[in-house]
Amino acid sequence: MRKLVKLLNITLQIAFLYVLSLLGGIIVEFLHVPLPGSIIGLIILLLLLHMKIVKKEYVADGAGFLLPILTLLFIPATVGVMNYPELLSWLGVSLLIITIISTIFSLGVTAKFAQKLEQTERQKEEVEVYAPND
Amino acid sequence: MLQTISYMLLTIVIFFFMTWLYKRTGISFLFPILTSTIVLLLILIFAKIPYDTYMQGGRVINFFLGPAVVGMAYPLYTQWDVIMRFKKTILSSVIVAMLAGMTSVIALGLLFQLDEQMLRSFLPKSITSPVAIQISDAIGGIPQMTVLFVIIAGITGAIGGPGIYRLLKIDTPVSKGVAMGSAAHGIGVSKLTEYGELTLSIGSVAMTLSAILGSFLCPVVIYLFF
Repeated sequence: MRKLVKLLNITLQIAFLYVLSLLGGIIVEFLHVPLPGSIIGLIILLLLLHMKIVKKEYVADGAGFLLPILTLLFIPATVGVMNYPELLSWLGVSLLIITIISTIFSLGVTAKFAQKLEQTERQKEEVEVYAPND
Repeated sequence: MLQTISYMLLTIVIFFFMTWLYKRTGISFLFPILTSTIVLLLILIFAKIPYDTYMQGGRVINFFLGPAVVGMAYPLYTQWDVIMRFKKTILSSVIVAMLAGMTSVIALGLLFQLDEQMLRSFLPKSITSPVAIQISDAIGGIPQMTVLFVIIAGITGAIGGPGIYRLLKIDTPVSKGVAMGSAAHGIGVSKLTEYGELTLSIGSVAMTLSAILGSFLCPVVIYLFF
């Protein structure tokens, strides 16, 4: 019985999250802006949580169910590459190289930049709540 | 109806098996998203099943992406005090990561003489797949290409990240998290567990923030460059 209640709860919460993503979609369409509707939904939910209109318990189970299986959710989209057999060529190799170089570059630059900022931000902090663990 | 359910189940079963295999073996290259996709591709190609037929079931799984993205507000809310503590570092680093990623990808793309649609597909590559797919669609890219770039970016970060951090002497918890989350999204973040709780939660926060900011920034970049 408790399992059934939990299942019902998850279903209702996912339905609520879905309604918010629909609402985001409607807003995007209405404003004619090239934004993902679900991101607008996310922002709306974040605002509702902060304004205490939505209690975090109302979405905890639904989000807790969906987020750990996020990878599963985009497998069907990934399988869509089968419609692009031309990737098995020089083009595919160059796309791979571009992605790898750009990611390493961006990771390195950001880490260096963040480290500089973090050190100054931590120095300013009088009361160190988080002790650096290394 | 039977087809819908069987393609759905096939995807789910393969995914959970691959997740089990990944955890069991601990081999970096066996990321469940990568192995599941390859196995499904092989099955579909050898059984001569067209993508559209598979998507009768795939669509049902796909449907949950929207609610899942909205649900990302929940961890963002529960980790709000961490965000506020390092807000300057996190916010500006996410922006730096996005600019570094986009400019380098445009430069390399031009060097390799890619066409414009491919360049558009490249822009959201550092953003978590469910959002990147939608951004790509919105800015005139090819979502299936984008999702591929996103996954390669994630795997690059996860496998190469620790080495890059050693090479560049990155040893503060926030910088490790924020760089990984904003350059290599969820797949990279999953590798942060070894650096501790703070780095991990900063990583997932950075991933979500870069999804939000990227949604707004990508169309602007397109407007400016194309």
